[in-house]
Amino acid sequence: MAVDAAAATISELAPLLRRKKISPVELIQNYLEKAKRFNPHLNAYITLTEDQALADAARAEREIHQGQYRGPLHGIPFSIKDNLSTAGIRTTAGSKILADWVPDFDASAVQRLKDAGAILLGKTNMHEWALGGTTINPFYGTTHNPWNLDYIAGGSSGGSAAAVAAELCLASIGTDSAQSVRNPASMCGIVGLKPTYGRVSQYGTVAGTGAYSTNHTGILTRTVEDCAVVLQAIAGHDPKDPLSANAPVPNFSISVGKPVRGIKVGILRGYFDEFIAQEVAANFSQAVAAFNSLGMETEEVTTPHLGLIPAIKVCTSRVENAAAHDPYLRTKAHEYSKATLHSYISALLTPAATYVMAQRARRIVCDEFDDLLKRVQLLILPTIGFPVPTIEQCQEGYVEFDGRKLPRQDARGGLESLCCIPFNVTGLPAISVCCGFSKSGMPIGLLIVAGSFQEPLLFQAAYAYERESEWHQRRPTLPV
Amino acid sequence: MEEQLRKIDRDYGFNLSDEEVQTIARRAAEFESLFHCLYEVDLSDTAPLLKLDKRP
Repeated sequence: MAVDAAAATISELAPLLRRKKISPVELIQNYLEKAKRFNPHLNAYITLTEDQALADAARAEREIHQGQYRGPLHGIPFSIKDNLSTAGIRTTAGSKILADWVPDFDASAVQRLKDAGAILLGKTNMHEWALGGTTINPFYGTTHNPWNLDYIAGGSSGGSAAAVAAELCLASIGTDSAQSVRNPASMCGIVGLKPTYGRVSQYGTVAGTGAYSTNHTGILTRTVEDCAVVLQAIAGHDPKDPLSANAPVPNFSISVGKPVRGIKVGILRGYFDEFIAQEVAANFSQAVAAFNSLGMETEEVTTPHLGLIPAIKVCTSRVENAAAHDPYLRTKAHEYSKATLHSYISALLTPAATYVMAQRARRIVCDEFDDLLKRVQLLILPTIGFPVPTIEQCQEGYVEFDGRKLPRQDARGGLESLCCIPFNVTGLPAISVCCGFSKSGMPIGLLIVAGSFQEPLLFQAAYAYERESEWHQRRPTLPV
Repeated sequence: MEEQLRKIDRDYGFNLSDEEVQTIARRAAEFESLFHCLYEVDLSDTAPLLKLDKRP
């Protein structure tokens, strides 16, 4: 069997696997070979699980041949960010502290993918403790962007995004507490979904790799259609996760391909506008035009207290994260990088009353978004305000666009997170899809947001835009 | 701020240098300034959001 690299989406490969036109073993061998060949350039994977993957592929092949086809993920290679626990496979959280930690259980999202027959190829690189948007990791190295190795892949799920974009797997699971699925998806030109808070179990996510109330388990794939297939497998209530929602799980794939004419879309304006570069604005305008040409109705919108969001997000996340790290801060402080350690220590100085004030203000913001989403059905905005920065720029602590040189990070967090954080504060579902390329040849992302548990509507609009724009068909040229 | 930080340093056993204390204190002051807006909004009838208990 020759695996057609041009057919490398789940939706295209699944029918071939079901009809026994391709072999799971050969498919997994193909992806492992690519991973071994290109990972030295990209540093997308921290750990490759070759032997187990081949054993699982052999099992999938037997099952399919015996007529026990499990569904569209059976035999499909996936990867997992290294902060989701995997039984028998080390789970580092991108940290030195957990460098040798081997869990004896799977995170629920991992377990559900395995139950669906998907095959784990390995664990992907990430920002140390998921606390940043670059995946420049002092312990496991920097993940490079497949579109240009001099650029960051984004983060914190940078390894997952690079692996999917470079076709070193067909899907990856990441986590998103501020931007961490959508940012790298945007920077690597793929699809990144942060579902509604509670839609996907967080059981098995390493504590302290995202705040309790803002973190989400998310999905990275090459297409919207594939994203819907993966969400189908991992969504749903989990008694092991007290924060998971007991909400019905619809058939997400049904919404893919539905007409979008008449959908009301709000173009969200707010505090992040001052950090939107001209070329991102131009690409975004073209995306708005595409939405209009598809029959969707767009108008500019905002909410009264949108400007509070950076303070709410930073306060809640920092305090919750510092609380999760308390045991390590007392015993293993020397095993953090200085920047990460200083961040957690400074969070210890935040008064408890300020945290409660943030959670009170958060209710106002959530109510205002709920009201807004009664007037329009979707919101759109750029995923990141400026083109992908280089690794060198990030190491030196700045970003540069439109003749402006700005510190990459200030008290609000990374500048690249400012468009994404409203939906961690509100828990609303948001998907990033590619909406063009910068002059430097790097991808630009469009963020589409819906009301709580409206992922079907998100897929409906994202798929329509993806097919209209065809940006998803571009692929990076990997180093020979 | 520095005094508070030195107490935390003793409690946790970080052994921070003076330079680190100043760096962290400066960052904490920046956060304090960011959080100031939370005290300027009328929250008198607003209970804190303690769980994002989303319902369809």
